[in-house]
Amino acid sequence: MMRYRLGRAILCLLHFLLLPAMAAAQAVHVELQLAPPHLDPTLTASASTAEATYLNVFEGLTAIDREGHVQPRLATRWGLNQAGTALTVTLREGVTFHDGAALDAQTVAFSLRRLLDPETGNPQRHLYRAIDRVEVLSATRLRLHLSRPDALLPFRLGLSAAVIVHPATAATNHLHPIGTGPYRVVEWVPPERLTLALRDDWRGAAPGIREAHFAFTSNRQKLQNGLAEGLIDLYPDISSMASYLQFARRDDYRIEQGEGEGEVILALNHARPPLDDRRVRQALAHAIDKTALVKAIYPAASPTLIGSHFSPSHPAYIDLHDYYPHDPEQARALLAAAGVGELTLTLAVPPTQYAQQGSLLIAEDLEAVGIEVALERLDWTEWLAQVFRAGAYDLSIVAHVEPFDLDIYAREAYYFHYDSAEFRALWERIERTPETVARHALLEAAQRHLAEDAVNVFLFMKPQQAIHKAALGGVRQNAPVPAVPLEELYWK
Amino acid sequence: MATRHSIGITARTAVLSLLMALATLSAILIAMTAFADYQRVVTRLVEEQNRALMAASRLVQQSEGLVGSSAMLVLADSHAQRRQAMFEVDDRRAWIESLVSELAQLRKAPEDFDNIRQISARLGRRIAELNAMVTQRIDLRGALAQGVPSNLASQALLAGIEVQIADVMRDKRVLSRDLGIAVGFHTGAIREEIQQTVEALETSISQRKATLTMAMLGVLLMLLATVAFIHRFVAQRVTRLQHAMSHARPLSQALDYRGGDEIACMATTIGRYLDRINDNETRILAMNRELQFLATHDALTQLHNRHHFDRVLNEQTATLAREPYAVAMLDIDHFKQVNDTFGHQQGDEVIREVARQLREAMPPPALVARLGGEEFAVLCQTGDPAVLARRLDTLRCQLARTPVVVAGQKIPVTVSIGLARKIPGSDVQACLQAADDALYEAKRQGRNQLVVRRLRQDDPEERA
Repeated sequence: MMRYRLGRAILCLLHFLLLPAMAAAQAVHVELQLAPPHLDPTLTASASTAEATYLNVFEGLTAIDREGHVQPRLATRWGLNQAGTALTVTLREGVTFHDGAALDAQTVAFSLRRLLDPETGNPQRHLYRAIDRVEVLSATRLRLHLSRPDALLPFRLGLSAAVIVHPATAATNHLHPIGTGPYRVVEWVPPERLTLALRDDWRGAAPGIREAHFAFTSNRQKLQNGLAEGLIDLYPDISSMASYLQFARRDDYRIEQGEGEGEVILALNHARPPLDDRRVRQALAHAIDKTALVKAIYPAASPTLIGSHFSPSHPAYIDLHDYYPHDPEQARALLAAAGVGELTLTLAVPPTQYAQQGSLLIAEDLEAVGIEVALERLDWTEWLAQVFRAGAYDLSIVAHVEPFDLDIYAREAYYFHYDSAEFRALWERIERTPETVARHALLEAAQRHLAEDAVNVFLFMKPQQAIHKAALGGVRQNAPVPAVPLEELYWK
Repeated sequence: MATRHSIGITARTAVLSLLMALATLSAILIAMTAFADYQRVVTRLVEEQNRALMAASRLVQQSEGLVGSSAMLVLADSHAQRRQAMFEVDDRRAWIESLVSELAQLRKAPEDFDNIRQISARLGRRIAELNAMVTQRIDLRGALAQGVPSNLASQALLAGIEVQIADVMRDKRVLSRDLGIAVGFHTGAIREEIQQTVEALETSISQRKATLTMAMLGVLLMLLATVAFIHRFVAQRVTRLQHAMSHARPLSQALDYRGGDEIACMATTIGRYLDRINDNETRILAMNRELQFLATHDALTQLHNRHHFDRVLNEQTATLAREPYAVAMLDIDHFKQVNDTFGHQQGDEVIREVARQLREAMPPPALVARLGGEEFAVLCQTGDPAVLARRLDTLRCQLARTPVVVAGQKIPVTVSIGLARKIPGSDVQACLQAADDALYEAKRQGRNQLVVRRLRQDDPEERA
């Protein structure tokens, strides 16, 4: 008996001594360019929060898999009634939050009502406007009553904006996130790093990664150095890095050639004259040489050029990329027609690589047609506060990674300050049209409308090129939604 | 008994095992704590010192890179090139600042970094000046290229800017060098610290190795002690016990009772058992001897009895057939009268006295027996029969001369003796008969006679 105990004691000692080594073997270092403003994906439009927390810390009723398909997550089943006006959802049993609280239909109902409440301030609330009312049927079943049929609702319920939160912790999730996901937050040192660890009571199969260290750096020198020194296991967006080709040649790294859903635009603030003048906006569109721009930004990718705010992967997509061909003369003429003399615009540059690289060429193109450009480099928090929330900017360059977000042009007080009754009416018709052919026709009209109005300068689809250690498996090739699901990763 | 107040083998073995286990355990613990210590040191090396060293070397690298980026800025022909260079410069400067903060935090001496911060700030100002000058230069060159009439003033301005740029660049190079040297000091200090940590680690490893070796030696010694203990105090003693017991007649004195433990206790028990067995055996042997004596001796005279005499004759038949011998028969004359006159008790005394004298008169190897009543027989296998005859006759004369004194009474005693030597060709029975015949002849001749049978013509021939 004594020997048995001694053996156990020795085993325990060995266990404690070896545990750090084991944990290190199952840890992953993920580098993200943008630091999350906070950790609640229901309260920010910043994809950086979703990248770190979606499917890791938080889960929705459904989940979007690596191919962009809807999969069951906290809901095991869902079904629409014949009229398409009620979605009945059956919940997975035995789900708990990180603090031990159980998930039930009441929790989900709270979470969905919170999502729909304008007071909450969920930036994606409009995506769920079809939900009229949430009814709890039992502990594990609930029904969403819809004001109109919404075929995309199961997909939308899988987005990071609709993750399920608990009433007790919803208010503090932005600082201390408590979700139902496989990883809990161990440490968050904003804006530098975030550490996640696998929860001990995870209901699913044990993932290959036990610990994840997210680091956020937009400093290109630092990023490049980190990759060069092999300190980074996964960096989801290397495409615009100047040293891309050098890394592509390294044996210890792999680069995934994937597709993303991010439309990169030169956002124009319509609230600031003369950008409220369509001719000026069209002049800007003519002034920018998109072909040269992508060639300069991406050393090894040829992203699709776009002419409206719409993903080429959508069946209703129409190619409008040459709607305003590069024509400096035309641009000058339009500016003259608009009566613009000396014009200086400030280009707010967020800390992403493509934005920094792109801003140099855009500034040069605009200067070539007589517009003085001042570049204003902002960190991500500043950008979100100053540009996205306060709308205090002239021009900015940014990728909109949310899938199918055409509706932002119908929103009031969105940071473009685009105000078109015509487009709003068009969008309402789109939302009310479930029938595919008619709906697609309306979507085409909407794309054309945005192009004609030159609401922004629509540049290109952001390529999705993740770089990761060759030994790291399970990295998503495409990015249908912004996410780095750690559960899918493993060390070979 | 001994175990009651002393430690038994089990307890001693348990104590030894416990000591061995403790020694082993302490060796393991020493190794474990050593591992834990090394892990801590290595973690610190990686976490702090290595991080600090990396930060310092990155700082040096970035301050050198800054010179290159500044050169890019100076060489910029367009605003795009200028902005690109400025992006690079800004990135490097931002990183330099964060590296300085990181290093200051890791080195736990923020004041040491004031100098570096000042140099960095001056560098920043120099770069801003440079940017402004380059902007001006690009604009001027652009204006000249676009056909703005060149005049002396603008030419002079451009030349002035070039001179200023060169000045700023020189100053910047000096600042970059100063930065490199200032950071280099910390790099050296960190390297020194790492070296010290590694040396301390090596010393500690050596010490731990020695301790561990000692502990292992302790374990080995304990093992040897246990083996020696079991060998000496168990195996050897059991073997000795077994050896003592394997004798034909094991003696309790040969056993080892020392130790005061279970084995000593067992030896004591065995010893007592042996003593009992030996006592019993001695008694049985004595009884046996007594019985043997009684069976072969005459109780009155202590001479051999007839039974023994006959048995010897039977047993010695073969010997007697080869060797010479003589047989004498002796009878006390008129013994019935002695008994009747002096009583049986006195008669017995007479018999005893005659027996004693007969025994004394005969040479020791001769077999002297009382055949019954007052009759005796002698078988003598040595010596000359004539000598035997003389001895017998001397006895007869001495008895006749000296009366036996019993309880103050003198009892005159005479004996008749018949002696026959081996009759060649006949067996001992024939010789016995011949002696008996000679005795009869002595009685017939008037008693108190020795009659020696002469060899006769009709005696059978002795076979070769």
